[in-house]
Amino acid sequence: MRLEKCWFCSSTVYPGHGVQFVRNDAKIFRFCRSKCHKNFKMKRNPRKVKWTKAYRRLHGKDMTQDSTFEFERKRNRPERYDRNLTENTLKAIKKIDKVRATREAKYIERRMTGKKAKELREAQKELEQNISLVKAPALLKEDPSLTLPIKVKVSQKQPEVQLMEE
Amino acid sequence: MAATFASKCSRVGRSLWGGLGNNLSGLLSASHETACNHFLSQLVLEILQQQRTFIQMRTVLKVVDNSGAKKVMCIQALKGKKGARLGDTIIASVKEAYPNGKVKKGKVVYGVVVRAAMQRGRCDGSEVKFDDNAVVLVDKQGQPIGTRVFGPVPHELRQKKHVKILSLAGHIA
Repeated sequence: MRLEKCWFCSSTVYPGHGVQFVRNDAKIFRFCRSKCHKNFKMKRNPRKVKWTKAYRRLHGKDMTQDSTFEFERKRNRPERYDRNLTENTLKAIKKIDKVRATREAKYIERRMTGKKAKELREAQKELEQNISLVKAPALLKEDPSLTLPIKVKVSQKQPEVQLMEE
Repeated sequence: MAATFASKCSRVGRSLWGGLGNNLSGLLSASHETACNHFLSQLVLEILQQQRTFIQMRTVLKVVDNSGAKKVMCIQALKGKKGARLGDTIIASVKEAYPNGKVKKGKVVYGVVVRAAMQRGRCDGSEVKFDDNAVVLVDKQGQPIGTRVFGPVPHELRQKKHVKILSLAGHIA
């Protein structure tokens, strides 16, 4: 039993899931779900579709080089069953998973540093450039020429209500 | 069909929004155009990717062995009400053949479907499909007529007792 990777989104294809397409040159394309299969049929490039692993790796969104990825690799030689080895492996899986999760979180944190400052900078620039489009309410009070000259009185509400009741 | 659909859409749109300003209707037509484009692209996609179904009477299949036949037409599926699928045996008539081959044009032959474009469920619940519909010619006992098999074949042939074809094949998918 082997856990394959989806050709399109690089997620794991568990046994009994998905579709596989065999091209005439015997290359096998495995898909985890119909979404990936359909995208393949539409001839989309996974490197250009934003939700795929290929895109995220290519654009530096995810951690790509790490020693934790070395454990998950395709091995063509079947391992002979050994009870102790299996036990140790099962223990190690949890540990490795934890290490990878922390490293990935750190990677994203590092990637996001400076984002707040950048946003602030951009907002300030926009404010400077486009301040002429809006006038602050305080300015309207100072300069009466900007306000409307006529003030409308809103007081005659009673007769309207009576009409509604009739 | 798409054009009539589009015109119908736009007419309905006009009558609904007729009372509103001129520029607004222009905006509306623009939105209709994009909708139509989407519809057309869907249609083109459907034409490009036809719905693949069973191998039934008059299905023309490629012959992927060196028996001498190039193309055969299915005249009877030996299993299934709707037709044959991957791994099933069919009776076919030879439509195109190489000169000096074992099989001549016009002969009625038996064949095993080794590749089918319609997807077929595997024993574990996943599905497999191929690029084209291809057949390997066999005799009535199920022994292949040719001595070579080209291209990938599925491992399900083992369950169908076609081990000879599997051993001749270069790639097993």
